[in-house]
Amino acid sequence: MNSGTAKWQRNVFIASFIIPTLLFFGVFTIYPVLQGLYYSFFDWSGMSDNKTFVGLDNFKELFHDPIVWRAIGNDYFLVAGKVVGIMAIATFFAVALTRFGFRMAGFFRSIFFIPNVISVVVIGVLWNFIYNPQIGFLNAFLSLFTQEQVTITWLGFTNHTIWMLLPPAIWAGIGFYMILLIAAIQSIPASYYEAASLEGAGQWRQFRDITIPLVWEQIKVSVLNIMMTTLNGSFVIVWIMTEGGPDNSTQVMGSYLYQMAFRQYHFGYGASIGFIILVLSLITTIILQRLMRHETVEMS
Amino acid sequence: MTVIKNPIAKLIFYAILFVWGISVLYPLLWTLLDALKDNQQFFRNAPWSLPEFPLLWSNFSYVWSKYNFSTYFVNSLVVTAGSTGLGLLLSATTAYVLARYKFRGSSSLYLLYVSSMMIPFVLALIPLFFLMNSMNLINTKLGLIVVYASSVLAFGIFVLVGFFRSLPKELEEAAIVDGASYYGTFFRVMLPLSQPGLITIAIVNVLNIWNEYIVGTILINDPSQYTLPVEIGVMQAEMQYRTEWGPLFAALFITIVPVLLMYIFFQRQIASGITAGAVK
Repeated sequence: MNSGTAKWQRNVFIASFIIPTLLFFGVFTIYPVLQGLYYSFFDWSGMSDNKTFVGLDNFKELFHDPIVWRAIGNDYFLVAGKVVGIMAIATFFAVALTRFGFRMAGFFRSIFFIPNVISVVVIGVLWNFIYNPQIGFLNAFLSLFTQEQVTITWLGFTNHTIWMLLPPAIWAGIGFYMILLIAAIQSIPASYYEAASLEGAGQWRQFRDITIPLVWEQIKVSVLNIMMTTLNGSFVIVWIMTEGGPDNSTQVMGSYLYQMAFRQYHFGYGASIGFIILVLSLITTIILQRLMRHETVEMS
Repeated sequence: MTVIKNPIAKLIFYAILFVWGISVLYPLLWTLLDALKDNQQFFRNAPWSLPEFPLLWSNFSYVWSKYNFSTYFVNSLVVTAGSTGLGLLLSATTAYVLARYKFRGSSSLYLLYVSSMMIPFVLALIPLFFLMNSMNLINTKLGLIVVYASSVLAFGIFVLVGFFRSLPKELEEAAIVDGASYYGTFFRVMLPLSQPGLITIAIVNVLNIWNEYIVGTILINDPSQYTLPVEIGVMQAEMQYRTEWGPLFAALFITIVPVLLMYIFFQRQIASGITAGAVK
């Protein structure tokens, strides 16, 4: 065979497998992301003829917008709450379902993942019903212990309503990270634990000195993943449950972006919120990676 | 495996597991039970009370026909199947070449796809709306399909590159010796061999796309094109003006059942999808 045509055939093959995907990805992912960065320098209500370049004005305005600061605070509140809540509970379940020899461990593992396959919208609606002041679960439950009917508007506090969004977010997140940690724990050689047992190390010592160091890599990945998905996507549950209210007190950056762009038609301003989300998630990734760096242990 | 011996500790652990188990299972049961109630029962009885007879199965048919859930269900099916299929084809082809052929820029291309997983997708929401608008893809299932397919590419490529690399090279060499073309080798030898990886990705993507809300809300305003999650969001917002709790729960149940069935049948693939995607 002629080596020239062979090479040509190979190149055609490579190109035909690479280019369609890259074009597609370029048009529907890369291009919009870059556009998003670009729009953040414009004042723009959505009609093409009144798009005016304003430089950094959107960012200046953001800086003086009290809702933005509140939204960033809420975002990090959710990140912190979810990291602590999800990691504590998921680690507990992962250890309990692998190391303790419980019967039905497989059953629990299967059902604990269920919230993760349900749409966030459905979860939001279900939790709205739990919090509903008239016919909700929580008030009805509390009323069992009181003389009068409890009618607390759980999602209507002016200040701490964001706390109410934490339980659904944690409840919905556990299963995924539990599965991740279970896989990691199961890959630890049993001989490590046996040796530790022989030397008299109890469950707690084994957990602290074997399990944690050897699954640290997965813990790190989980924490980063929780942080990113929260900054990036927690606004869906916020939007379904409170629409950022009451009085913008539960606004997060994502929901504020959505409201500014698609409710109030400040597309340039919305885009600059997106820019800030990107910057925040990159900075937080770097900081978290540094904080969690030194503890990795190689399994030999 | 060290079995916990202290009976009190054991009891406490079991109690915690059972409580959490109830917290994840009960909402499903309760969605079904509440779907069978009428409005009065919601206000008169406790939320955990059982529905009164006769059970209102009619809430399901009401939602299915009056609320047009038959349409939304089909829309969701079409969009999910279309974007999963398209995403799979586009990511498998690129992943195979990236795994097996060296060419100029191949490693930076891989890096581009993998690092794109770190970029917050919200950034693209506003431009996507205008892009789809200019391509006349707003309010169309095709528009949703291309956006969803594009959004799952990076994950698919990342997992499949690893998968293709793990397959022995001899298989392809044998196929080439037998006179198969590059394409023949890929479609007849490599693709069938990578079925486990493809199935895992397909299932993870189906779950994510079926459940997706925000892109759907932004790109679709025409009720005839709604997907299930989009309609659930609209329906719950409407509850402020017309309260139909029973039908709302019936709607939730209709939305949950397909993914729940998928989960029951494909648990193992879902678990392996999680672990494969997380080793970044």
